Amino acid sequence: MSEIVFEGVRRVFTRDGKDFLTLDGIDLTIREKEFVAIVGPSGCGKTTCLRMVAGLEFPSEGTVKVGGKLVTAPGPERAVVFQQFALFPWKTVWENIDFGLKCKGVPAAKRGEPIRRFIELMSLQGYESAFPHQLSGGMQQRVAIARAYALDPAVLLMDEPFGALDAQTRTVMQEELVRLARKNPRSVLFITHAVEEAVYLADRVVVMTRRPGQIREIIDVASVRRAEDWDRLEHIEEVMDQASFVHLRTRIWRLLREQQQPGEH
Amino acid sequence: MNRDALTAKEFWLLSTLGFATLFGVWSAVALSGFVPSQFLPTPWGVVERMVELTAKPFAGYTIQQHLVSSVGRYLLGFGLAAAIGVPLGLLMGWFRWLDDVVSPLFEAVRFIAPIAWVPFAALWFGTGIGGPTLIIFMGAFPPALINAYRGAKFVEPRFIEAAQTLGASNWRIIVEVLLPASVPSIVAGLRISAGLGWQSLVGAELIVASSGIGYLMVKGQASISTSTVMAGMIAIGSVGIIIDVLLRRMEATINRRRGR
Amino acid sequence: MAARRRFGRTQVAVATVLGTFALWYVLTATGVISAARFASPREVWAALTQISVQGYADAKLWQHILQSCKLVLMGFLAAIAVGVPLGLAMGWSKRAEAYINPIFLLLRPIPPLAWIPLAIVWLGLGDAAKVMVIFVAAFVPSVINTYTGVRALEPYLVEAAAMLGAKRWTFIREVLVPGAAPHIFTGLRLSLQASWTTLVAGELVGALHGLGQVLNAASQDIFPAMILVGMIFVGVCGGAMTWLLGAIEKRSMPWRTS
Repeated sequence: MSEIVFEGVRRVFTRDGKDFLTLDGIDLTIREKEFVAIVGPSGCGKTTCLRMVAGLEFPSEGTVKVGGKLVTAPGPERAVVFQQFALFPWKTVWENIDFGLKCKGVPAAKRGEPIRRFIELMSLQGYESAFPHQLSGGMQQRVAIARAYALDPAVLLMDEPFGALDAQTRTVMQEELVRLARKNPRSVLFITHAVEEAVYLADRVVVMTRRPGQIREIIDVASVRRAEDWDRLEHIEEVMDQASFVHLRTRIWRLLREQQQPGEH
Repeated sequence: MNRDALTAKEFWLLSTLGFATLFGVWSAVALSGFVPSQFLPTPWGVVERMVELTAKPFAGYTIQQHLVSSVGRYLLGFGLAAAIGVPLGLLMGWFRWLDDVVSPLFEAVRFIAPIAWVPFAALWFGTGIGGPTLIIFMGAFPPALINAYRGAKFVEPRFIEAAQTLGASNWRIIVEVLLPASVPSIVAGLRISAGLGWQSLVGAELIVASSGIGYLMVKGQASISTSTVMAGMIAIGSVGIIIDVLLRRMEATINRRRGR
Repeated sequence: MAARRRFGRTQVAVATVLGTFALWYVLTATGVISAARFASPREVWAALTQISVQGYADAKLWQHILQSCKLVLMGFLAAIAVGVPLGLAMGWSKRAEAYINPIFLLLRPIPPLAWIPLAIVWLGLGDAAKVMVIFVAAFVPSVINTYTGVRALEPYLVEAAAMLGAKRWTFIREVLVPGAAPHIFTGLRLSLQASWTTLVAGELVGALHGLGQVLNAASQDIFPAMILVGMIFVGVCGGAMTWLLGAIEKRSMPWRTS
């Protein structure tokens, strides 16, 4: 129902008459309720993968299916959290979260309850009537996440959601997302170039090559997490201190370093 | 839901269709006899009239002579507006006291449409060159002033601080820091100024002139010669485009030299 | 410190205005500026009283103001009623843009005032001709700025709306229009300015009533004081309408900081 399947996906960009191959044969299955992170060098096409699941871009070859159905257009069952937050500046926090429910056709009487629930969940109480420009980056992204979750989507697509936040806010958001994801599990595709973030959040980490992007390796994190019982630790810095964590992180770093051209550091 | 993409072929097809619709409907109505040809000439009738006016004088002069008249006044008014507005704006941006003194007066007069000065223009200058020049000046002056002012006022403070720590005098700062830094704003302002000035010219010539394109159109209207009026409109539009293109070119060259 | 500075500025502003008044009074009283060419403050006051109480050019001041405002509103509202939706369509649909743009390219360079002779030929010297020219003058800025507003809409906002499942009319009403609103209002402001300029010009050329007609009559009667009265009220009415538009703008966009 919420299984994401990439089959033989290739993506070609044409600019000024020249063809650029950005994705070269992606085969990937994200199981139901699995949290998968994609990391890779800039331009490797990881965001393109997410946008194809979202229905904002389409493969030149191959298919992208969600729940067995071919993706043809964007929709609320595949909710997106954008790096730029993408909140409507003219709507209040409440109205922003409400908008998706309204478009879904949920009657007004029934909309209040889920909105209130997610405002509480994302610690936004008191800000219901605020406009996005009055909020910090972290708060805005919380609204965006609340907006996405309020749709009760089968699939959650997060495109470097914490990329625009400062380091401290980022850490806080990562902890919150882990709590949220464990409580409300669903299929998640998470794009990032921060390896630590990927290892901390995901069940599996997909490492991509540089352009034209292919899958270099898929690292299974969940088994290590369960074996080492990271979930017993409360804080993110404690988890990142674990030898098992460091080991995984270094492994991924090595894979990424292979991708660098001579001359880059 | 996305903006539809357009192939080059579709673009040209639709654009041509757009033109065709305009000229088609125009020609059809003109030819149908529904409206007397005095009131609605055909498109080619207008072109014929334009050509005719280059040889046969109307309202005193040929169309080129009227144009020269108009452009002459325009350059005078625009030139004055730039020559006074730009330096004044720069000085106002630098000397706070000057800003405080001039701004209230400027703001008060600003809301009066340039064309409202026509009666005084007529009173003071008759139908001589002074009248339209005054109106053009009133139209072209505000943008020139405001943009020079903004350019000077919002210069990066760092530049001024650097100059001051190097011991530059006030005068030197104005000429060698403020002025160059404000150039993009000044040039943008002059482009707007040029456009507004040209528009004001037209208005002035409709009322207080005895030559010029506006005057030509008024006389054309008086003799219900729509083709003359339309020929005038085309001439005005064409010169307006030329002025705008020239100034945009100049703006682009200046910006390029400065590495933007 | 800043408050003191602002207070100082107000003082200077008031001083400047009073100073200019004083200068005006002196120059006209001593005859340095001849009475035939300009008016003294006293004469202006007398003219103002005359037009308000007895009337001038066949009507009282408030009637002239009403007439002018009426025509401006008619032309302006008609222009934005057509122009803003057209701008939205052209901004959103490349097809619409390709089709309509050529007509625009031809009409745009022609200054609005250049339409006056044509309007008079077609519609005579009455109100209709003036409304037509005001329409043309107000139309172009509203289309262009609305178009710019649509194009300026951030792509990720459009994508977010698609992802959230917004259908066509919901999208237009709740995303497109609010998103383009700042630019749309800029267009409205420019349209209003153009409307006033065109109105005054049209009434100067020929009208029965209106502020422009006051100017015209005063010009023919060589009545500088009345000319000034006319000019002052052209400024005041134009300024008042602009201020009103600004107030509407502020109230419709509560999320704007500046």
